[in-house]
Amino acid sequence: MNTFSSNLTKNVNALKKALPAEDILTYEFLTADETRCAVVYADGIVNKQLLGDLVARPLSRLSLAEKSDIPVAERIEKALLFPELKKLTAIKDALTEILDGNSLLLVDGASDGFVVGAKFLPVRAIIEPPTDIAVKGPREGFIEDIKTNMALVRKRLKTPDLRFETLRVGKRSETAVSICWLDGTSELSVKDAIKEKLNAVDLDYVPDSSYIAAILSPRKHSVFHTLGKTEKPDIFAAKLCEGRVGILVDGSPIALTAPFLLTEDLQSSEDYFVSPFMATIYRFLRFLALFVAIFLPAFYVAAQLFKMQLLPLGLMLTIASSVRDLPLSPSMEMFVVLFLLEVLKEASIRMPKYVGMSLSVVGALVLGETAVSAGFLSTPAIIVVAFSGICLYTVPNFVETGSILRWIFLILAGSIGPFGIVLFSAFLLYYLLSSDAFGAPILAPFSPLVRRDLRDTVVKYDLYSLNQRPRTFRSKNRTRLRFKKSNKKKEK
Amino acid sequence: MHHTFEKPFHSPLNERVVGRQIALFAAFVLPATKLLEAPSILAKYAMGDLLVPALLHFLLQAGILAVVLFVVSRSEITLFERLQHVLKKGVIVLYLLYALYFLFAILLPLLDLEKYAYAAFFDTAPTTFSFLFFFFLSAFICAKGMKAVGRFSDLCLFLFLFSFVALLTLSVPETDFTHLLPFFGTKFQDTMCAFKYTTPHFSDTILLLPLLGNYQYKKKDAPKIMLGYAIGALCTLFFLAVFYGIFSSVAPREHYAFSKIAQYFPALSVIGRIDLLFVYLLSIVLFFYTALPAQYATHLFSRACSFERKAILSAILNFGLFLFVFFCNKYYNAFYRVIGGKLLWIFWLFADIFPLLLLLLPNGKKTKNASTKENVNA
Repeated sequence: MNTFSSNLTKNVNALKKALPAEDILTYEFLTADETRCAVVYADGIVNKQLLGDLVARPLSRLSLAEKSDIPVAERIEKALLFPELKKLTAIKDALTEILDGNSLLLVDGASDGFVVGAKFLPVRAIIEPPTDIAVKGPREGFIEDIKTNMALVRKRLKTPDLRFETLRVGKRSETAVSICWLDGTSELSVKDAIKEKLNAVDLDYVPDSSYIAAILSPRKHSVFHTLGKTEKPDIFAAKLCEGRVGILVDGSPIALTAPFLLTEDLQSSEDYFVSPFMATIYRFLRFLALFVAIFLPAFYVAAQLFKMQLLPLGLMLTIASSVRDLPLSPSMEMFVVLFLLEVLKEASIRMPKYVGMSLSVVGALVLGETAVSAGFLSTPAIIVVAFSGICLYTVPNFVETGSILRWIFLILAGSIGPFGIVLFSAFLLYYLLSSDAFGAPILAPFSPLVRRDLRDTVVKYDLYSLNQRPRTFRSKNRTRLRFKKSNKKKEK
Repeated sequence: MHHTFEKPFHSPLNERVVGRQIALFAAFVLPATKLLEAPSILAKYAMGDLLVPALLHFLLQAGILAVVLFVVSRSEITLFERLQHVLKKGVIVLYLLYALYFLFAILLPLLDLEKYAYAAFFDTAPTTFSFLFFFFLSAFICAKGMKAVGRFSDLCLFLFLFSFVALLTLSVPETDFTHLLPFFGTKFQDTMCAFKYTTPHFSDTILLLPLLGNYQYKKKDAPKIMLGYAIGALCTLFFLAVFYGIFSSVAPREHYAFSKIAQYFPALSVIGRIDLLFVYLLSIVLFFYTALPAQYATHLFSRACSFERKAILSAILNFGLFLFVFFCNKYYNAFYRVIGGKLLWIFWLFADIFPLLLLLLPNGKKTKNASTKENVNA
């Protein structure tokens, strides 16, 4: 049986057979002329009061036995007064709707089912995302509910050009994945490529958007991410306006954007709300901090082992006096301190808040101080690692990648010194410049050089200079800021 | 699981380079080839007149480059496509010959780079295997396409300019340009000797040829590329002037000059050798440049033998080059005498004379597949 029949009992039995789980309930009632009706729904995710008020009550007053020219289905639709109402005939579609939280109304004598959008999913409040805090600018963040997230985007982009296309990914989870784009602005081949790849995947369960990011990533084993991630609808909307394509995943507060450029990691939403000079200073600061975070421990070790000239004589002597009696080699010492930092970081995230404070005291003060006074570690090494650790957090989106790179550089510095550091840097650069994701080179606009796009990279130009969309995304509609003639006259 | 995800983005044009990238290559990659041994060799023979042989080289190479650009500009299809049309199967021989030439041309830079690496990156005595890691990088680079070379040229604009300007800013205050006087104070014969023995370091056009051969000429590209070459030449000449201005009579013994040129800046004794950071940044360009002939050789072998698996080819070539460095670095001077002396004719033949023969090529007409549309993401 693939479609509904006009016999209610048969229809309900077919649904029960297909959905034998105990949380799938059937609520039966009668109309005024005693025609049997049934609502099939998943318990816990349906607003039962709404079902009673807007479905059962109007239908119980309706008499379907009266002779009328209007078909039964149409009379039911008119009686329900429900804003979200959909008619369907295929049982398979009805099952998907029920599992998605909607209710299915069946009426004896009608060969259609009515999907009633009385979904009531428990959602958390919209709060400021903890990973993307801004002192200035909007504070709203995405939540786990895809409909709310879509509404947050729609709230910002009130244009008919904003399009959503929802796919179902995950054999078991049937997770809704919504591809968003601005028609006429975004490159449609990117949207098609995303769709094609998502349709091709056969996956059990999608718990988070990171799964979708992994599926879409053109480079499976890369330490660099190839899709942009944000928890803020204002950033998401701004990226759509630049010509990117967005992806919202049900159950995940993190939205994805493609194509992704590496320079995005250096940017913060706040850069666009402060003066361009301040934004440029912040970006330089982040760039410098990132450089220090990744290279400082490696160069510290390389300078001690292979190239002492890298440090000024005075500093070299200070370091030499503090490491003189250490039982560990410089690279081993750095390895231990970095390992301690990573352990402390991991523990402080996992630990209950009230224990976290005491852990910081024990970890940072007691352990560090005691290790130095016991002659196990040196003070400069602890300073170097602490500074490197703090610097890495100036670019939150790069923490994972930066942390891995820091380890690799440290190992190379301990093995072949600055030569290894420079060689691996060259390798990374060449790897990045030959990497494309969704048709856009990751290292753009530096390589390939797109001069106009350099205006919003490490330096940040003023709003008037950023009047065109980034060329890298090959948007058909390039202009994003233009003054109407009348406005110009008024200004004059 | 099969999908066709990457297909829409990999048009044949994407594999090509654009005029801007060739111009940037000429301006900011080619000067790096003259920073290692060339300054000391020029100073050894020409002394204060070291700019003269360098200028002669630049004029000669600019002439050859102009000829090649003229040939490229006369056609609506790429130079390689024209060669293929004209020579048919014979193009395989040409590719093989040039692949061998590039392997030959990389030998001296490799030996130089090894010595430079030991001098600039180590105060201690490194093991011979330390340099082995370079070949991993080189093998990776060799497996990449021409598009990567083009993009790398774009990146060199930032890498080279930033480090080069920083190094010269630190070194110019310590330079005494009067050491270059009197002009033409060296014997003409000695100047010509300097010219002769630095030929391998100044064979620039040949390094541009694989890029020019793989590129679709567009209007006004020729002046752009020539300007790029002129900027590169000026950078080199200024560097040579500063180099001799600082080291003067000891210049012939100052190998790998760019790593030492800024060390006399007074503040460095207080803040440490921060100039080394710029030297290291410039070394990245140098690594790319040194791997470039091997990359060209890999591509030419791959085309000639119709062997698509470049990663394997690249691994074999780089393993061979590693063995060469490993066993022959002790005979550095002997190799310099042979390659940079007796076998100089190979450079003249392949880098100077053969490119001029391109003038004999008939003009090519545009095929249906050829497109002249600018590709932003090349």
